[in-house]
Amino acid sequence: MASVNIQNVQKRFGAVRVIHGIDIDIQDGEFVALVGPSGCGKSTLLRMIAGLEELSDGEIRIGTREVSNLPARDRDIAMVFQNYALYPHMTVKDNMGFALKLKKAGAEETRAKVDRAASILGLESLLERYPRQLSGGQRQRVAMGRALVRDPQVFLFDEPLSNLDAKLRVQMRGEIKALHQRIGTTTIYVTHDQVEAMTMADKIVVLHDGVIEQIGAPLELYDRPANLFVAGFIGSPAMNFIRGRVEEGVFRTGNGLTLPLPQSANPATLGGRELICGVRPEHIRAVATGGIEGRVELVEGTGSEIYAKLTCKSDEIACLFRERLAVRFGDTIRIAIDPSTVHLFDIETGKRI
Amino acid sequence: MASVGMENTAARSGREKGSKPVRLAPNYWPFVIPALVVISAVIVFPWVFTLWMSAHRWTLGQEQSFIGFDNYIRLAGDARFWESLWHTLLYTVLSVVAPLFLGTLAALVFDAQFPLRGFLRGVFVMPMMATPVAIALVWTMMFHPQLGVLNYLLSLVGIGPLEWIYNQSTVIPSLVLVETWQWTPLVMLIVLGGLASIPREPYESAEIDGANAWQKFRYLTLPMIAPFLMIALIIRSIDAVKSFDIIYAMTQGGPGTASETINIYLYNTSFAYYDIGYGSAMAVIFFIAIVALSFVLLMVRQRTNWSEMEER
Repeated sequence: MASVNIQNVQKRFGAVRVIHGIDIDIQDGEFVALVGPSGCGKSTLLRMIAGLEELSDGEIRIGTREVSNLPARDRDIAMVFQNYALYPHMTVKDNMGFALKLKKAGAEETRAKVDRAASILGLESLLERYPRQLSGGQRQRVAMGRALVRDPQVFLFDEPLSNLDAKLRVQMRGEIKALHQRIGTTTIYVTHDQVEAMTMADKIVVLHDGVIEQIGAPLELYDRPANLFVAGFIGSPAMNFIRGRVEEGVFRTGNGLTLPLPQSANPATLGGRELICGVRPEHIRAVATGGIEGRVELVEGTGSEIYAKLTCKSDEIACLFRERLAVRFGDTIRIAIDPSTVHLFDIETGKRI
Repeated sequence: MASVGMENTAARSGREKGSKPVRLAPNYWPFVIPALVVISAVIVFPWVFTLWMSAHRWTLGQEQSFIGFDNYIRLAGDARFWESLWHTLLYTVLSVVAPLFLGTLAALVFDAQFPLRGFLRGVFVMPMMATPVAIALVWTMMFHPQLGVLNYLLSLVGIGPLEWIYNQSTVIPSLVLVETWQWTPLVMLIVLGGLASIPREPYESAEIDGANAWQKFRYLTLPMIAPFLMIALIIRSIDAVKSFDIIYAMTQGGPGTASETINIYLYNTSFAYYDIGYGSAMAVIFFIAIVALSFVLLMVRQRTNWSEMEER
């Protein structure tokens, strides 16, 4: 196990700059998720940590060693790829033992390590099979097993669950998390799925266009997003963003809709400025009296919750109700928003106020 | 059409159960008969006729007589036949191994990106398109001990002169050189196709797992292109063992009988000495040997085909 220190790492492909000077400190044993939309540079950054891409500038340290110019094989890392990248002509056992074979480990040692990894991942009965004879989930486990037998300083995961169906993804998510808790190896996990990042990571790094938008613990990102991008990216369904101004102690939109201000906001300093008010759909409650009146434009029930889109004085607000409401398209209902859950963002900089 | 479909289904299910042989519906025959006629005329008849001839004393201009297995018994004691068998074996092994090795090397080179790759690849495959007899004539001139360009080139580096196809000890390697020159491009094309089809992702895994360039070739590339190498091996083996035109045009089996392969010997027996019956017996034995060789190679191919391993 080791810490990973990334300093001012940049990547250019010709004239195109895809990573703009990134700094991340990853503690020994930490599980860090690199999250962001497609094309944000998260996989490129991971591949640079792995040694599969050269750095255009900056420095990467694993433990006390600077590895920026070392080939992948000398970095003492293990990686699980999105497409698993198993050796198609080798059995599961040979796939898992390949790294040890290259290290010229003894047959007994190889067998012991492969058997141990196989028992952790429930692969004992599949050791003699070829990758093509396995299901997606089993292949994914073999890829993890291959990483596990290496006993590396750092585990790198590049969207390992993307090719699995929804149910298996949830199952494997739990297994990877449990595995990390059990062996405690420093892990860097790339995903575009913010739910994966939120449920698995100790720390999340949100990337956008090759720049870090925010680094923090999952709940910190959820409760105090640094800017509009993080606020919109973290949380599902996405946060409501409503334009307006602070007037007479409330937030008022151009259509006349009024929303409560956060308790921390000072109306005196914010008065007159155009801002964006952010409210998460799950922080909106249905009430019998008072609150804001809205017409239901869309209702989607999943059994455990009801997602509804309302039009409140021409402003659209998405709501997520945990209780079973008998709402239908066209109904008029009343909603209330807890001021402590409201965020205000500067419209110019996008930063949270 | 419906009845054809039903017959087809019935035939298939019968085959799956392994109970009854496939029976064709009458309306299939118009499609099958032309092929049957052609196959009977050009494959079955010559084959049966060769078998029949091999059981006869049949020399052109003399009376024929049935002698059963006598031609085969004579073959077993014929030292020239065994010598030609050895020449065939040597010629085949060398003309398979050399193009296979060089073709694989060339494929690895042409698989990489470099300037003028497409043009150079086009130049490289040109020998494959040339007519064997024309190649033979050109190489015969190049092999000439006094006037040939090869001895001139060797003299520049202080070697030679060699007698090439005019010496009993160098004739087979010289013929193999021509064969290698002509057929290395075919192996290159087959292996290049293989290299293009193998997945690239495992190479990144191997990089992470600690493999160096040689280990990646040894443990990934080689086993993954093995099925393609086997195809090249089968094509080259069958081609080399049957080789006739280049040898006949360049040496006619000489000097003496130093490059006489079975093909040349049976040709000479049948069409120079007109001993058709004995030549036919040789053809039959040769045919059985080729079928056996193909069978062995196909069996080996099955074992190297990792992409079909789940079916075994």
